[in-house]
Amino acid sequence: MGNKVLRSETLRSGRVDFSYEKLTLENGLTVFVAPMEGYRAVQACLAVGFGSVDRRFLRQGQETALPAGVAHFLEHKMFESEDGDAFDLYARIGASANAYTSFEKTCYVFGATDQVDESLDVLLGSVSHPWFTEATVAKEQGIIGQEIRMYEDSPDWRILFAVFDCLYHNCPIKEDIAGTVESIADITPETLYACTDAFYTPDNMVLAVAGSVTRAQVLAALDRAELPQGGETGQKLRRPEPEEIVHAGAELEMAVSQPVLGIGFKERPRGADERLRWEVLADLLGELLIGDTTPLYRRLYDEGLVNSGFSSDVFSGEGYFCILFSGETREPETVRAALLQEIARLRAQGIADEDFQLCRNVLYGEAVSGFESPEGVAADLAACGLRDEPLFAELEILAALTAEDVRAALEELLREERSAAVVLRPLAGRGQTARTAEE
Amino acid sequence: MQRKELRGGAALTVLPADQFKTSRITINFILPSRRETATAFALLPIVLERGYAGCPDMTRLSRRLASLYGAGLSADTSVQGGNRVVSISICGLRDRYALHGEALSAAYADILFGTAFDPYLVDGAFEPQAVEIEKQKLRELLEGEINNKRAYCVQQARRRFFGDSPAGIERNGYLDDLDGVTPQALAEAYAEMVRTARVEVLVLGADAGEVETRLLQKLDAQRRAPALLLPAVAMPAAEARSYTEPVDAVQGKLCLLFTAGRPLTGRELTHMRLAAALFGGLPSSRLFRNVRERQSLCYYCSCAFSYLTSSLSVDSGVQPENAARAQQAILHELQALAAGPIGEQELQETKLSYLGALRAVGDSLSSIEMWAFREILRGTFEDPQQVEHAVQLATADDLCSVLSLFTLSVSYLLTKEGAADGQ
Repeated sequence: MGNKVLRSETLRSGRVDFSYEKLTLENGLTVFVAPMEGYRAVQACLAVGFGSVDRRFLRQGQETALPAGVAHFLEHKMFESEDGDAFDLYARIGASANAYTSFEKTCYVFGATDQVDESLDVLLGSVSHPWFTEATVAKEQGIIGQEIRMYEDSPDWRILFAVFDCLYHNCPIKEDIAGTVESIADITPETLYACTDAFYTPDNMVLAVAGSVTRAQVLAALDRAELPQGGETGQKLRRPEPEEIVHAGAELEMAVSQPVLGIGFKERPRGADERLRWEVLADLLGELLIGDTTPLYRRLYDEGLVNSGFSSDVFSGEGYFCILFSGETREPETVRAALLQEIARLRAQGIADEDFQLCRNVLYGEAVSGFESPEGVAADLAACGLRDEPLFAELEILAALTAEDVRAALEELLREERSAAVVLRPLAGRGQTARTAEE
Repeated sequence: MQRKELRGGAALTVLPADQFKTSRITINFILPSRRETATAFALLPIVLERGYAGCPDMTRLSRRLASLYGAGLSADTSVQGGNRVVSISICGLRDRYALHGEALSAAYADILFGTAFDPYLVDGAFEPQAVEIEKQKLRELLEGEINNKRAYCVQQARRRFFGDSPAGIERNGYLDDLDGVTPQALAEAYAEMVRTARVEVLVLGADAGEVETRLLQKLDAQRRAPALLLPAVAMPAAEARSYTEPVDAVQGKLCLLFTAGRPLTGRELTHMRLAAALFGGLPSSRLFRNVRERQSLCYYCSCAFSYLTSSLSVDSGVQPENAARAQQAILHELQALAAGPIGEQELQETKLSYLGALRAVGDSLSSIEMWAFREILRGTFEDPQQVEHAVQLATADDLCSVLSLFTLSVSYLLTKEGAADGQ
């Protein structure tokens, strides 16, 4: 019934003593199975290639525009069916379930030590039978509205989207993953059905299962499932994004104790074949600039200008590539200037081999430790599957990189003219000295 | 869990961890928590983490750890019931995963034992510049607690709940005391810790024999007068008090704290683990299903039980105008569970979920260690497998009985000024 295995391969890495199977089904679904000896639990992740940046698509000759937050909204609603709630079904068999939406994907996950077959049935069933009504959509608008408000109180979240808003003209990465209270008010059952028809198709989904599980178990579950049989997947449409930034800075206020600084660099988005390598290079540059082994970090730390939470992050996908530095600081302008100076210094003086080796080791260690958690392996396999990258690719890139590669990357990345700085300042006289009333 | 009592008030616990790519060793110093030394013990771990006699410079130590594939050295503190715990851990790749065959594990032990037992002292005190820098960081941390509204609300509720009890001593110390923590005072706190603390070492995936030998060498070099662990405590039941704090936030936060009035017995603890899961610990819990999903009164609403203080907290994110109704709904759910009946299906589902979590404890280094250390603090030393049997035997009446012990002590609402119901 479309669940026949067309291709099967075993992938193995001696570097981490790890192997997994990749199966491609006739209906287009990609399946990964990673049995892990010594573990009790099974972790599964069903990832759908539909995230918050997917706001327009073409299907069956028709173009559809979506309100901000629809992928996340759908994530909430997919747990419901006419027969009840998937959370209830998981609860009956002792599994723990969750789901999350990012810029590029929606993931449904469970962990279970017993009744794994039944848990797989619930997981596959929950994405196979979408069911939305006016009433359930209206109820969810209230719940998600509260979630949106909760994130509005998070300084890190506010900084992130304020930086993206400075950098991007059109790319939907600048909008909150959950949308706004206003944008989700436009969502109807029809909107949601249009999205499941377009994106919840087998060739746009990946199932990854890791831990105490066998290939036979997973294939049997797929045989029992009634997955959609390969309808036309929506073609994602992107508005062109200029290379230039929108504006170089912004200021916000909220109830925090000291300012928070975010500096974003808008980089040229990379094609699928070179994206991971550039992400690794950007990660390495972050470590080389402000990691805790660096002279800049030490100077700013000792001067009380940054704390151990000051860090770099990389955001990359189809149509966007951004390097973000952020953290609390009482002197945002000083820290911004120091970071830009350090970038210029490294560019002029080069990167010492020893510094490169240390930062590469840190990232390599992180990558290897990712293979000891079934939950992490399932999530990574699903993410790699959607991007069509092997799970071991990051390890191999790190092992092969040289200091010269990083020097060359720095020539292109982290240019001041493509950067924006956002400062979130404490509300004047508020936030630290609130009065408490006993009733 | 293999446990070995060593001389001098120390013990070594070896936990199975063969399947992992990393190994981990933790040294815990446990001593009675005191108000006067709270700030020194809050500062001590962050100063220790900067370096030790064998590697005093913070950046040099960071580079050493980076060369060991980003091995993580962490020093932290917590207040567990009436005890102060200072924990120093190192975690890193096992030797066989090094790119160039480096001997990693021996280096981990050097760094860990150096940090715990050979601090970098200048004339018998911690380095003044390092102490000043870390005092400023701690000051910022204390002043910045408002940044995380959810944690801040819970912390404010705890302050009202515990009052002057040792269990309520602040993990991060007190702003007012910070100036008084001199390099010398910090060295005295360190000396007190090494002299009087019970020492519990946990080894996961590292050479336990080597750890034991090094530990005994270090302890034998100290004058030791180790304290006994303080038993679990409980706040007495009292008339419920409500507090409202205005703050500039979009979403309100509500925290309710309940006490059992006395420490729970071992059997009651097992029942309470299940009862807390059923009340507000699972996505299928009463709080999630009824207060969040059915009544849409909050975005999150969950509970946590502290076995060392027999207290139960409910933490929720509410729209300010719904706060009073959310509180009533939460109280209603607790009363309904305590009064019973609890359906057999609901009980079995909760047991299944809880047993699943128990069985998965062995799947991560951190959960194995967390479980073992909790058992050490309780003095029970049970494996998750041993607890499984007791969970299977629990009845619906057991859960009702244990929940009926709890009464509301403190309600704390963080909200926009003038936005709460009835204000």
